[in-house]
Amino acid sequence: MSARDSDQVLLLVSLAAALLLTLMPMPEALQAARPHWLVLVIIYWNLEGGRMRLLGPCFLLGLMLDLLSGTLLGQHALALVILCYLLERFRARIRFFPPWQQAAVVLALLVNDRIIHLWVVGLAGEGWPHWSWWLSPLISVALWPWLFLLLDALRRRQRVRKSP
Amino acid sequence: MNAPGSRFEFGPDLAGRTSRLMFYVLLAIILMSLDFRERWVDQARASAGLVTEPLMLLIEWPYQTGARLGEGLRAHRQLLAEARALRLDLARVSADLLVLEELQRENAELRELVDAGQRVDIGSVAAEIRRVDLNPFSHRVLINRGRRDGLVSGQPVVDTRGLVGQLDEVFLHSARVILLTDPDHALPVRIERTGLRTIAYGSGLNAQLRLTDLPMNVDLEPGDIVLTSGLGGVFPAGLPVARVGSVERPVGEAFARAELRPLGRPDRSRYLLVLDRVSGPEDAQELTEELQEALREELLEEQPSTDEDPADSAPTEPDELDEEFDEPAAAAPAPDPSGQQS
Repeated sequence: MSARDSDQVLLLVSLAAALLLTLMPMPEALQAARPHWLVLVIIYWNLEGGRMRLLGPCFLLGLMLDLLSGTLLGQHALALVILCYLLERFRARIRFFPPWQQAAVVLALLVNDRIIHLWVVGLAGEGWPHWSWWLSPLISVALWPWLFLLLDALRRRQRVRKSP
Repeated sequence: MNAPGSRFEFGPDLAGRTSRLMFYVLLAIILMSLDFRERWVDQARASAGLVTEPLMLLIEWPYQTGARLGEGLRAHRQLLAEARALRLDLARVSADLLVLEELQRENAELRELVDAGQRVDIGSVAAEIRRVDLNPFSHRVLINRGRRDGLVSGQPVVDTRGLVGQLDEVFLHSARVILLTDPDHALPVRIERTGLRTIAYGSGLNAQLRLTDLPMNVDLEPGDIVLTSGLGGVFPAGLPVARVGSVERPVGEAFARAELRPLGRPDRSRYLLVLDRVSGPEDAQELTEELQEALREELLEEQPSTDEDPADSAPTEPDELDEEFDEPAAAAPAPDPSGQQS
């Protein structure tokens, strides 16, 4: 149980860091293509940490992101809830995929996330986004292995420190 | 609810999860439509600002310290050169100001002669754009002044070249500026050359506005300057807004369209000026009533025999060929008052 407690801190810290990174200023050209940090962190914790498996927390995180980034209230919440549902539905299978296949699943989830956003944005009549907007899933997937390794290493270190 | 600790079962029962998903999806859709249609989620947003604002300050902090360190490390010589350049600038600008003062006096005298009301001096607050990126669709920027500096929602925001937008949400230490290019934004404007009044809509694209309800025979050319008209009571009249980029007269459509390139570019300069609102909503109401009165009188004068559709008497040059196209366009300014009167 202590492993879970130590995870708790890391979970909160990583989620907060993801939220902050989402708002980080970036060069004008890359702005639309910013990686979707929050989704990556949630996928990691769901698959490896066995956390963030309920829809409620995902919904609340989505609302938080909406408030921070000034989108329509509920837009990110909708996307994250659907992501969380899909993850949980196929969790058992995804966990035992080889890494490259896992990355492909992550890419699919991210593209799905973009499609949901596009749907909402389209209904709100905000016009077609810049093409670089579709680069975001690719950039996110490129970052996925490194984020995975980083969070894994952090968790292991914490556990080693806590265990004696 | 299944406990988060149920690690070893292969997914909780599907039906329960799906129904919970439906519940949350419905909740999200309801929230979104409330936020989009009504504006009463604003209250919730404003209180959430208490939580989100410190986060935004936290993000900006490293950039601010970086900038301050950079300033501290700048060489003495460089600073001296900068000071000299600024002093030259100041001299030039104050010379310009002298001329302006003279013009202002002359203007005041002329206004007295024609018995027009005095131009009010408009106060302003300088602000800097915060280094926080919001989502790419929103066409909003965050500035470093807020309720504490006396800002309220709705104040116009300009940069050195022209109008940029207006204040949307005001937090304690920061405020969100909705840019002219936001698809939700509409601005009452006037063409400088012809005096034509119309409304400029945000396009959702960077650096582009649209005029969509122009009559087909409109006198508008690329390069014309567009100013605020001052109607609506939010923006002072005569602020430069944009330059006309292109005018289209699509065949088979009722209205001509024009694309504008805004003069104010918040992506170029980081310093903005927040102007005071010219007048409250009551004044706007008064202005609208006055306009309605004037319009009615005009209609009565032109057609003493009344009893006819007022749209017919709207002053336009009759163009036999596309009269049916012209009419709605010419009537466009009219229906608002006549709708309220009846």
